[in-house]
Amino acid sequence: MAPSHAGYAPSLDKLVKSLKGNSLEQSIESLIFLLKRRQVSGDDCAVVTAHILLQVVARSKWSDVDQLLGRIQNAGARLARAAPHEPVIGNIVRRVLGLIRDEASEDRNADDLGSETASEIQSLAPSNPPPAQPQRPPPVPILTRSTTISGGLPVSKSMFNLLSVASAGDSPMTGASTPVSQAQGASVHSLRSEVIDGIEEIMDEIQQADDQIASFADIQIHPGEFILAYQPTKTVERFLVKAASKRKFTVLIASIAPPQPGATEAPYAALRKKLNAHGVTTINLASNGLMAYIPRVNKVIFGAKAVYQNGGLLVDSGACIAAEAAREFLKPVIVLSPIYKFCPEDPSDEAVIGELGNPSTFVSYASGPQVEELEVENTVTDYIPPALVDVYITNLGPQTRHHFASILADHYKVEDIGYSLHDGEV
Amino acid sequence: MAAETNAAPTGTPTTATPAAAATPAKPQAPAAAGEEPKLTPAQLKAKAKAEKAARRAQVKDARTAAATVPAPQQAGPDAKGPKGKGKPDGQPGQNKGPRPSMSGPRPIIEKDPRSTIPDLFSHVPMAKRVPLSQAHKDVHPAVLAAGQQMAAFNIKDSIARLEATLLAFAKVIEEYETPKGNSLSRHLIPHVLNPQIEYLTECRPMCFAMGNAIRLLKARINHIDINAPEKEAKEELLEWIGILINERIKLAEFVIARNAAEVIKDGATVVTYGRHRLVEKTVLKAKESGKSFNVTVIDDPFEGGGQELAKTLMEAGIPVLYSPNLGGLRPKVAAASNVFIGGEAIFANGSLNAASGTADVAMAAQRTGVEVIVLCETINFDRERVSVDSLTYNEIDPERSTTESFRLLFDNTQDNYIAGVVTEFESGGGNSPAQAILALLRKQEDPLIA
Repeated sequence: MAPSHAGYAPSLDKLVKSLKGNSLEQSIESLIFLLKRRQVSGDDCAVVTAHILLQVVARSKWSDVDQLLGRIQNAGARLARAAPHEPVIGNIVRRVLGLIRDEASEDRNADDLGSETASEIQSLAPSNPPPAQPQRPPPVPILTRSTTISGGLPVSKSMFNLLSVASAGDSPMTGASTPVSQAQGASVHSLRSEVIDGIEEIMDEIQQADDQIASFADIQIHPGEFILAYQPTKTVERFLVKAASKRKFTVLIASIAPPQPGATEAPYAALRKKLNAHGVTTINLASNGLMAYIPRVNKVIFGAKAVYQNGGLLVDSGACIAAEAAREFLKPVIVLSPIYKFCPEDPSDEAVIGELGNPSTFVSYASGPQVEELEVENTVTDYIPPALVDVYITNLGPQTRHHFASILADHYKVEDIGYSLHDGEV
Repeated sequence: MAAETNAAPTGTPTTATPAAAATPAKPQAPAAAGEEPKLTPAQLKAKAKAEKAARRAQVKDARTAAATVPAPQQAGPDAKGPKGKGKPDGQPGQNKGPRPSMSGPRPIIEKDPRSTIPDLFSHVPMAKRVPLSQAHKDVHPAVLAAGQQMAAFNIKDSIARLEATLLAFAKVIEEYETPKGNSLSRHLIPHVLNPQIEYLTECRPMCFAMGNAIRLLKARINHIDINAPEKEAKEELLEWIGILINERIKLAEFVIARNAAEVIKDGATVVTYGRHRLVEKTVLKAKESGKSFNVTVIDDPFEGGGQELAKTLMEAGIPVLYSPNLGGLRPKVAAASNVFIGGEAIFANGSLNAASGTADVAMAAQRTGVEVIVLCETINFDRERVSVDSLTYNEIDPERSTTESFRLLFDNTQDNYIAGVVTEFESGGGNSPAQAILALLRKQEDPLIA
């Protein structure tokens, strides 16, 4: 494993580039491979998923919306199944599905207004003017609601077909064999470009999320405070550095494991350097237990891998200890999570118990009997119940779990919420 | 790690720990006849003498030479001496022979290890290696050895430290001769014992058991009739130390293990944190009595003692689930029937001082409705001091506290997380709150011992 790491775990940029070079099927397969080996993980999953889905939209063959949805669902399900520990993949897939539904229904609405004739509805020809203006990636909630309720797309589409296209022969739904009329081709083309634009916007959102979250840093962190940062992620690092540029405070950094014996650098050396440059004191805590330090701490900050609709969190293991200790001493727990990590689902039982990681770093293969008999559980993720979290800071600002429903409604379509790994073709 | 902060005697502590800690502890086992134990003390005595001679010569040397440089140079290698306690290789090092190999730059770089301690923890004490040359001249070699071992964390458990202290003090008393015109009961404490105590405290802040024992010992000495013949008085004191070791350490350990083992039911899942002697004894005892149960060992990755425990239990045939860190603590604890925790000390308000991380485990257990049972000898109970947070009475881990990291050795678990404390005082056990035991102690301790 170790040597392959250097060779096969490409950086995010390289990976994305390779996605463009390879055939679609190839890149999906290679990404599945990387996901399974956990060489792509965390925030990168979101970016990569968005890229793959963009490729699916751009390069796969589809002649109508339903086919496109099917393709996305299929590809998404394969990715999500490859990495069930990364709920963020499912989120991005749902976002893209919702996006497609929006675009399609906008087209249709435009058609409804624009012309009455059935043939034109079928052709979706005049779809160019309307999509030019709306195309909002996180659509306004009310609008979303109304559109989803008024026309769950597959239903309405097939009804249109029932009424109008029956005479024209095969419904486009039934297969790719349908001869695609020129008009239809144009609509597909425009939909394709709109969806691609939408996915690009999602990617921009992912990219900007950390900066947007960091912009709330100086509101949350006050001068002279002691901040406990549990295994700071990139998001948390940016948040702290941003706050450090405005305030003097102290950061206590805790992590689950001691540095590897061969490590050349102390943990979080880069972050500490940055913070120290701003005059912020940093202390690395060499401890798993945090109760001893919490009385001195003003706030606990960490990043989430995923936020569930009940407000619970999927986090790196050990963060739960920080959260529990903070609760004991009534210190606020601040979770940094971009909106795209909010999942419209409840945590699975597996997530609550926690994911098990590689134990070989803890019990060496040299000690034979232990490898044979000792059961070693290295839990790498924790679930934090919602009651332990005070504030969620997202790229759309601070949120509390009481408003999750509306946030989720803004970002996901009802039809897609049920989407899970088990959907789609295998 | 320690190499930066300390002089020559590093390296060994981590690896040598179990062996070194065990050696001084065991020989004294039949302590009723206590003063003539078998192997180690004899060696120790010989060594101690050599050491003393060396030290004297060295001090003389330093004075005559007037040059201060050689003194610390000598101290470096000398400091190694006591660590090899009970090992033959300690001997040659003691001869104050010329040591050409050490003539390079000063081996002791007096970099204050405390300089890296963050401000907000600056009030917390920390063990430190006191070079032998800087020790007070009245410090007895046996105490010097004990102090060095404690500073190096070769003896780190509170009870092991207590025992080492008592054995060393027994040596001190054994070799003590009352000067003319003085009485033992008036002279021993201020002129002989106090420097020893100061030295030990300097090496590493005293644990609560040591504090208790020293308080009792002083009371005992003060109690001796001023006109009592020296021999008689010394014998009485040595006997008392033997009894203390027997009753409050050996017997206590046995009784606690027996009582706590009763709490473990057939088919139970026991969770423990890190490695504590009493928990280990308890679990093994329960296994011996034919019960079948599982043990989950949750370890502190920065300490790593739990793995040893897991190994030991596994060898005893107990199915062990080993968790290398506190990840997934909640589900692991929730699946348990009991949580067993070994205590370092218990305060007057009932809160527990134990290995760092214990409080987190106890809290998780309480929140998932699992009983936390603390095992602790009564000698560890502090009846005067209270602690409501972990920063009141604590120690900085000298080995893991560098510019890069910081670690406290203990944390404070409030009594509302503790379902019961098992001590050697009650039978049955597992359901007495710490306060009840404190009350009992208050009544019983002094008349019992003094």
